[in-house]
Amino acid sequence: MLAYAVRRVLYTIPVLLGVALLVFLLFNTVGEDPVRVALGRHATAQSIAELRAQWGLDKPVPLQFLDFLGQIVTFDYGVSFNSGEKLSKLFTQGAAVSLWLTVPPFVVGFVVNIAFGLLVAYYRGSFFDRFSTAILIMTMSISYLVYIIGFQYFLGYRLELFPVSGYEPGFEGLKYLLLPWLIILTVTAGEDVRMYRTMFLDETQADYVRTARAKGLSEPAVLVRHVLKNAMIPIVTYTMVAIPFLLMGAFLMERYFSLPGVGDLMISSINSGDFPVLKGLTMVLAIAYSAMVLLTDLIYAWVDPRVSLR
Amino acid sequence: MRFITLALLCLVIACGDSTGKGGTDTPSAAPKKIFQFMRQEAYKSLDPVKQFDGASAELIQNVYDSLLEYDYLSRPYRMVPNLLTKMPELSADGLTYSFELRSDVRFVDDPCFPGGKGRPLVTDDVIYSLKRFAHGSLNVKSYTLWQGAVQGMNEFREQTQKGADMNKLDIAGIKKIDDHKFTITLSQQNPLALFPLAASQTAIVAREAVEKYGAEFEQHPVGTGPFKIKTLQRRGVTILEKNPTYHGTYPSEGEPSDEATGLLAARGKKLPFIDEIHLPLIEEPQPAMLKFLSGKMDWVAMDRDNFAKMGFKDEKGFHLRPEYVGKYEIYSAQMLTTEYWSFNQKDKLVGKNKALRQAIAYGLDIPTMLDKLENGRGVAIKSIVPPDIAGSERDTKADGYSHNIELAKQKLIEAGFPGGKGLPPITIEYRASTTRTRQQFEWNRAELAKAGITLLANFQTFSAYLQRIESGNFQVGISGWQADYPDAENFYALMYGPNKRPGPNEADWSNPEYDKLYEQSRFMPNGPERFALFARMNEILREEVPAIVTYTQIACGLRQNWVKNFKRNVMIDVPFKYFDMDPAAQAKGIQGAK
Repeated sequence: MLAYAVRRVLYTIPVLLGVALLVFLLFNTVGEDPVRVALGRHATAQSIAELRAQWGLDKPVPLQFLDFLGQIVTFDYGVSFNSGEKLSKLFTQGAAVSLWLTVPPFVVGFVVNIAFGLLVAYYRGSFFDRFSTAILIMTMSISYLVYIIGFQYFLGYRLELFPVSGYEPGFEGLKYLLLPWLIILTVTAGEDVRMYRTMFLDETQADYVRTARAKGLSEPAVLVRHVLKNAMIPIVTYTMVAIPFLLMGAFLMERYFSLPGVGDLMISSINSGDFPVLKGLTMVLAIAYSAMVLLTDLIYAWVDPRVSLR
Repeated sequence: MRFITLALLCLVIACGDSTGKGGTDTPSAAPKKIFQFMRQEAYKSLDPVKQFDGASAELIQNVYDSLLEYDYLSRPYRMVPNLLTKMPELSADGLTYSFELRSDVRFVDDPCFPGGKGRPLVTDDVIYSLKRFAHGSLNVKSYTLWQGAVQGMNEFREQTQKGADMNKLDIAGIKKIDDHKFTITLSQQNPLALFPLAASQTAIVAREAVEKYGAEFEQHPVGTGPFKIKTLQRRGVTILEKNPTYHGTYPSEGEPSDEATGLLAARGKKLPFIDEIHLPLIEEPQPAMLKFLSGKMDWVAMDRDNFAKMGFKDEKGFHLRPEYVGKYEIYSAQMLTTEYWSFNQKDKLVGKNKALRQAIAYGLDIPTMLDKLENGRGVAIKSIVPPDIAGSERDTKADGYSHNIELAKQKLIEAGFPGGKGLPPITIEYRASTTRTRQQFEWNRAELAKAGITLLANFQTFSAYLQRIESGNFQVGISGWQADYPDAENFYALMYGPNKRPGPNEADWSNPEYDKLYEQSRFMPNGPERFALFARMNEILREEVPAIVTYTQIACGLRQNWVKNFKRNVMIDVPFKYFDMDPAAQAKGIQGAK
């Protein structure tokens, strides 16, 4: 087990190095030149050179990449070109907002969608199943943006059930999150419920289910006690790899609801070519994702000793 | 389960609170005047010398003061003293300006001062601030505004770039007389040299604040402006609160119509009138407009879609549709901007073929494009100077090109491409890839196709566009210019030979007669003599067509009925200090919105 864990950790290093190289090349060759964006049109050659030097962009590219690797190792990505603020501060502030935006609907959605998936699986083939599937496909087919604009207009402006947009830190600010939560729950329901339903139905074909039924267990008891338990393995895998993305918030949601989260920070940094923020955020996400995949694999290996690296 | 209970509890709280308080407190307390507006972008730095973006300047203008400012009500735009007792006086040799500071200006209270009490503004503060402006490593963005204008400033900059301590160095041209008087000596006669003193980059800071807060000074402004920071959130809600010791008063003069519209009712009254300004970051137009319509925002700019839904334009101007009349007030203001097409003179096709450029100029139909694509929120122009600046087509009677397909075809024959035969496609460079730029291209492409000219487009990022233009690797560039200061020189300079790339003369065009006339007119006072020179310059531009001037933008927006003293001044982006509001009308208006 220990050998597996060590080897698995070592495998992560080249993956992260590859991601670092890709991120570096991508942001240094594509997108806006931050110096030109900051100085606008007709900047003098001198002022362009001065700002490049101040931001370390006058160094040879390989040296800049080495600096970037140093930042990854030390977890110190420096300061934002835009605001001069430390990236650690920007990221902590933004992540707090993004997590408030994404975690509650993620948790509620996890419970509600599994329950609904189980219910639909129970009534498989019935009118209820077909009707639910049609509705879920319809909700999946509508663009995120349409939900945002529609809900904001009708529920926020017309019916005044929620504030149109805004943000306040602390408990007072919760009222601004209710509408975004509702939208996230609506948007994710279609895909999640349909996937859970499929996973449950796959399990219902297994031998142990036939045995349970042969023992005389009721169908609800078979589903809850046996099918649900066994289907949780793929469900947990699916869920675990989604967790790091919660940190990144929801770009459109944050932008339309004026929530100062990481997603909105990312968009504005792309628009202005704020390299340190872009590189930092992308690497943090890559590291979190790799860590979560690693953790999932280790849990598998722990649960099932047959799992090994070849 | 616990979470669901909490969510339900929040829902109850939210619904209870979602009625919105607007700008008033509870009825038992004295109503606070709270002006609700927004920021469309996050500010970058609140250190005057480190910022060069609109979002930062909007906040700096309200918490700091510059020596001069633009008169709020008068048109054409003119500068007036802000921290000074009177406008600077020029010496007989035309080189030295004498300044006298007001004695009633104080910095806001802040822990950086002894006892936390703000102190009076003195000459040393001005000199210190101007030295920071000229500092080689502090100001790497906006020094060009005043580059070379003041004696010894460039040398000071060079020394500080090498690491010299600015506190041990002086700028030769800036001399302290006493605590309230100083002089600035220019490198050469230059009446335009005063304009940067109204810019936010030359706002006056306190040395104590800079030294106390160090790197944090960018986030901790301490100024003499009409407001101070109450809450500062770059990407959340920033709140400004009234500076009770502010020195300014409401202007006593304006345009003739200002008296009738009540804009002069507050003349001479102490500023500011509003207690707090709330500025959430709202980046999308829909939530901004919905907040405005529900009475939770006091002023909103209108984008194209919202204008199409709520307003219209006729020969008398801009109006609201009947269902909105009486609920809100619409305003419009011509911007001090010029949009134009630059023809690269080094290009073998468009640069060397004057008749081809003239054909394109005749082929474009700008007025119809503005009506169809911009809802009329722009005005077609015939001179490179926006109409609201002295020296524009109003004064020079400049006659540009009007849409005429027959003449375009005729010019195309002269150019050697009858009916467009043998003419390769011409590529036009755009500095953004948005719905708007793409629609404008499609419009122009279709118009020019009628004359036999094929147009291609290259949509790119802003920095990629700059690189392409500066490298000279283009045929036609969509250019634009916003006034640095309201003088025609700032626009005629766009075609001045020595300003070739990477300067603002993107066409790389040079004409000895035009250059001579520009130099002659540059520092002349406005009047018939100067306008006559401008008129000749316009004739040259019309004949040679190094650029086709297209239009000036018109800004449109809405304000709530309870907002008073509102007049759009395009030289002051957010003039909060002049605004006032009627809380009773506001409460009534918010009820009405429901």
